[in-house]
Amino acid sequence: MKITYPHMGSLNMILKTMFEGIGVEVIEPPPTTNKTLSLGVRNSHEFACLPFKINVGNFIEALDKGADTIIMLGGIGPCRFGYYGHVQKEILKDLGYNFNMIIIDPPHGRLIDFLKELSSYFPNVDGKTALKSFLFAVKKMLAADKLEKFLLKHRAHEDRRGITTKIYEEYMKKLDKAQNGKEVDKIVADAMKKIKENANVYRKVQLRVALVGEIYMLLEPFTNMDVSKALNELGVEVTKTEYLSDYLINSAFKLPQRLEFKKNGKGYLERDIGGHGLNTVANTIKYAKLNYDGVIHILPFTCTPEIVAQGIIAKISRDYNIPVMSLVYDENTGQAGYQTRLEAFVDLLYRRRVNAV
Amino acid sequence: MSKTVGIPKGLLYYDFYPMWKTFFEGVGAKVVVSQDTNKKILDEGVKNCVEDACLPVKTYVGHVINLKEKDVDYIFIPRIVSVERKKYLCSKFLGLPDFIKSLIGDLPPIIDMEINMYRDDTSIKKEAAKVGRMFEKNKRQALKAYFNALEEQKKFERLLKRGFTPIEAIKIWEGNRLTRANKNYEIKLAVLAHSYDIMDEYISMGIINKLRDMGAEIFTMEMLETDVILEGASMLSKDMFWSYERDILGAGLHFLKQKNVDGVIMVSAFGCGPNSMTEELLERMYKRDKEMPFMLLTIDEHSGEAGIMTRLEAFIDLLKFKKRAVCV
Ligand code: SF4
Repeated sequence: MKITYPHMGSLNMILKTMFEGIGVEVIEPPPTTNKTLSLGVRNSHEFACLPFKINVGNFIEALDKGADTIIMLGGIGPCRFGYYGHVQKEILKDLGYNFNMIIIDPPHGRLIDFLKELSSYFPNVDGKTALKSFLFAVKKMLAADKLEKFLLKHRAHEDRRGITTKIYEEYMKKLDKAQNGKEVDKIVADAMKKIKENANVYRKVQLRVALVGEIYMLLEPFTNMDVSKALNELGVEVTKTEYLSDYLINSAFKLPQRLEFKKNGKGYLERDIGGHGLNTVANTIKYAKLNYDGVIHILPFTCTPEIVAQGIIAKISRDYNIPVMSLVYDENTGQAGYQTRLEAFVDLLYRRRVNAV
Repeated sequence: MSKTVGIPKGLLYYDFYPMWKTFFEGVGAKVVVSQDTNKKILDEGVKNCVEDACLPVKTYVGHVINLKEKDVDYIFIPRIVSVERKKYLCSKFLGLPDFIKSLIGDLPPIIDMEINMYRDDTSIKKEAAKVGRMFEKNKRQALKAYFNALEEQKKFERLLKRGFTPIEAIKIWEGNRLTRANKNYEIKLAVLAHSYDIMDEYISMGIINKLRDMGAEIFTMEMLETDVILEGASMLSKDMFWSYERDILGAGLHFLKQKNVDGVIMVSAFGCGPNSMTEELLERMYKRDKEMPFMLLTIDEHSGEAGIMTRLEAFIDLLKFKKRAVCV
């Protein structure tokens, strides 16, 4: 069995760690590039959203490399993501690929159910080994998330443009190769130290922006044109509101953050509407209350829950007097236009702060 | 004087109006419906809504504004989460009252009854009682209105099963006389779509009647019995978790398997997320089958009538041609 899966932030590293730990061969999908995107676009329905199309591109490239089994997450609605795998399977079948697709529906609440379902596909793996590699993969996931949070703050202060990104990428490669927990801890500590050493530019007016929105778009720098980097390089500290670890905790294992979202969303959105719509609304309110300078909302074109959120956060923006900008992405989104919009937005935030003083 | 409740003529109006009207009259309100969609309503909707929202939601926004201008005492904007067990509706229905309140300022009080049958349907009674209280009716009176509403809804749905479209069925239910033109239709055609996409004459440019005029007898998913739809849907590798999308797929697969129509048109609205999944699947399955003609029509606020007509005519010609060729 040669397993593959779609790219989504650091998911590649995590799944690879997990599967290789139980002795299953993994074919990594080649990094997402414009070629991946055009493969996906050519073979998907026009109105499917961007993540769907890129998934398709990832799958085609991985199948061409020899993968024979695809792992994909499922869902039970109301976001259409839950049906992606099934539609994608039909597309790949029509393209003539021979493969097996394992679609894992999120468990109804408990971690153990999820692991049980997953392990049922690998009957020859003993439970202890499976648990060990799962926990190690989780450790890497948390490490990657921690490092990224650090990056998004300190890159705004880097001494030389690009230096932080270089350090970060170098250490992410090391993290990918790490063999045990101790190594992971050391890599994170070293990386943070090095980033810090190279970040000494402090400004009188320091802007902070929260990135909210659809999780896939937030996690995949290729699809969002690395908006965090662009903002950091404009001198803005960034707080990203979705990470893989949050996703697992919230969607799969139902932990308290859901309740926090409900509480924060009160008065604006009274219930979960699928996808990350409620998160977007709740996080916008949260960071408005924390006096952030602005919120950037990231969503793929035609994303239903995010469109509802978009309407609602426009009102939050007025009520809390915080600038909010939505960036809607599809395959035709051009880099230049986005950079200009980001610059104009940051400029607006800057002027607001200067005038307020 | 009794209070007025405005009901926007959009989205699930076409599926539940008889029920809603009966219920509100049962608790002593007077029901006012927004005008039929027209240019002004659509323009207002587009102007006040989020740019990338789907066409029917934009239209709905226009209808709410129309009711606001009519000075009704309340506007009914239900939050319909689920209409059957283990199924949802599109996210937009789940957040509808919140969304509308954010978009339009100074609205009269909104009645945002939550309909959620995902687990069971007992919560609706509670919601009915809550609405009853707004009109100073006690729980017993509210429940009575609710049960009457259910009865009327059943009458309405029986009309659908007899082959009337939702709009026709509403007219008949309201006491208008309507006889179906006993035309000799040359072909049978299934039109698959959300009711609000094809029943709204303005945004759909009256597709149904146009097709009838071209000699096609029309079948919509509302006209099929539930078990037929479920049987069709059972051919899917995964149960579809949105009710109306399940209906479209189920009906589509039913027609594909039974070959009891000459062709199928799927109408979807620009920007509809759920439809994008359904379209993709149906299109592929029809293509694989190769026998049954299938056409996909996407409507948006800029759809030109001429272009749509040309495509419909070409499709109908094809079906007629095929049919005659077979007969010979
Ligand atoms: S199902 Fe489609 S058309 Fe209907 S509200 Fe949702 S996105 Fe809009």
